[in-house]
Parts: sequence; structure tokens; C-alpha cells
Amino acid sequence: MSSTEERIRALVDENLEIEGRPPGRPLDLDSSLRDSGVSSLDFVAFAKLVAQEFGVDVSMEECASINSVGELVEFLDAKAA
Amino acid sequence: MTTGWRGHRGLVEDELRWWSSYRSSGPIKVFRIALTPDSGREAAAWNLLDTAERQRCRRFLYPAPRRQFLLCRAALRAVLCVALDCDNGELTFEFSRYGKPIPLVGGDRVPMHCNVSHSGSHGLVALSHRGRVGVDVEERRPRKNLEELVETVFGPQERALLARLEGQSWLDTFLAFWTGKEALAKAWGMGLRTDFSTFQVPPEMLRGERTGLFRCPRITNATWRLEDIGCDELAAAVAYEEDPGPGGEF
Repeated sequence: MSSTEERIRALVDENLEIEGRPPGRPLDLDSSLRDSGVSSLDFVAFAKLVAQEFGVDVSMEECASINSVGELVEFLDAKAA
Repeated sequence: MTTGWRGHRGLVEDELRWWSSYRSSGPIKVFRIALTPDSGREAAAWNLLDTAERQRCRRFLYPAPRRQFLLCRAALRAVLCVALDCDNGELTFEFSRYGKPIPLVGGDRVPMHCNVSHSGSHGLVALSHRGRVGVDVEERRPRKNLEELVETVFGPQERALLARLEGQSWLDTFLAFWTGKEALAKAWGMGLRTDFSTFQVPPEMLRGERTGLFRCPRITNATWRLEDIGCDELAAAVAYEEDPGPGGEF
């Protein structure tokens, strides 16, 4: 597991309430965050938090194009490259 | 709930119905959808969905978002069938580039715009027979990390107003601005792809009024009405074309 992925999984667990997800169940990297019941506001706030944690900028348009945790990992890795 | 909606063309028994009329204003109707768990309602909703919608339901990993989609889509179908005087089997959807549903009857576009939003156990469906419409709802509950968003999503007057508030007043104002801007962005068809910091809610609403008129610099042939339709439990807004012009797409 990449360092980026580990950090994001921890941030998800600390900051995103995914209703109905059994406690301790690992988040599926490919599942859509929006289809996991995360509201648009919570999603944008989370993306902004993650961007701050990783020291990168993320625009609203970039937020809207990121659908899953896996895509967020790819986005951050690409920004860091 | 009005008698005019009784029976819903026989789609759902009255006692099971999970949506009700919430607001009616000019060319729009807004319906509120209860998204709390209810096996009877969920079974009735399942019967209204088409094959593709059922397949989408099966792909959800968690029960809450599955229920939100199921009850919202079935309610959207029910209110559209009444508004368009069509059978559920005739009703299908195509989707705009950014995922906004466009109703079709017998495969043809109809003079009706719709939009859906949900947050937690609350859903809203908005219909407009005269022009584009967008709706947004957010549960009225404390959230983490909202302060960090202020610079990203609000304009200077919105930020100045928020800077003078704290506690529940701050949260209520934040949610009113956010839902208003998202409703406008959804009405325009761009949703979150819109840079929220480049526009502000109408001046009337910055002064505390519940409604105002908005002109989008990128869609110059339309005037938009924005209304705060929130209540104690939820923050919500609806935006619609008050004076639709021809075309008007981005």
C-alpha cells in the first residue's frame, strides 16, 4: 500500500461519515465516494482537507472530477510527481 | 399532500407514499422525500424502477446510499408521471454531460425540467415546466472542516458576512449560501464543476431575504430566481429560470 493511500484511508476514517459502512471495514479504493452517501458539501470539504494535508491546491473542478479514493490517490501522486 | 396527487396513477398506495408536496412557486414544484429506512416503501419503490436503475441499486456497497437512490429515483418517477400524465413504463431518462437527468416520454424529450438532491434522511425533487431548475439540500448538522472551505467557495461579501457570525448562526448562514450556490450551479447544469468563488448569492439574500434574482454572466439570456427553502431540519435552496431565453446552455 502506498504512503499516499495509507494517509488518505486514515483521513477518511477520521473525517468522513459513510453511513452504513461496518466499523473497521476497509474502504474500497474504487468505490465512488458520492455513491457512498457522502454529500457534495462533505465531499468538497474532505477534498480540501486532504489537499491541505498534502500541501497541494485543489480546485472545485478538480474535486468534481475525482470520484473515488483511488482517483484521489492518483491525483495527489500526480501533483507530487 | 393534496388530493390532486391521490393515487399517483395507481403507482403507490397512499399510506406508503414517502414524498409530499413541499413548495410551489411560479413554474416550479418541490417535493420532499423521506429517506428513513422502511421496508414497505423500499419494496414499492423497487417496483417503479427500470432494469438499469435496479442494476445501479445493486452496485451500491452500503445500504444508506442505496436507499437514498432508490427512494429518490422512484419518487422522481412518480411525480413526473403525474406532471406529464404518462405511464411509468413510458418514462425513461437521458443524462446531460454532467449527469443531470432529462426526462423522456416514449423516448422523446418533454417540456419538463427536473433535479434531485439528498442529504442523510432528506431528499428533494424539483420540477419546472418553464425552464431549467436546480435544487440542493444539506442536513442541518455540524460538520468538520467547513471553516477551511470559506476562502474556496465564497465571494468577498459572503466571507465578510460570515466573519461577523459564530456558532449556529455561522453554520446556518454557511449552509444557506452553500445550498443557494449549489442550486444555481445545478440549474446551470455544471454542478460542482462551477467555481463557487466567482459568484455570490443575490444581494437581497446577502441582506437576509429568502429570495433574490440572479443573472449569470455566462448565460446572459436568462434570469434566475433563487429561493431559500430551508426549514429547522434541513438547509435547502431551489434555483430556476424566471425568464428563460432560447438556448442558454454553457
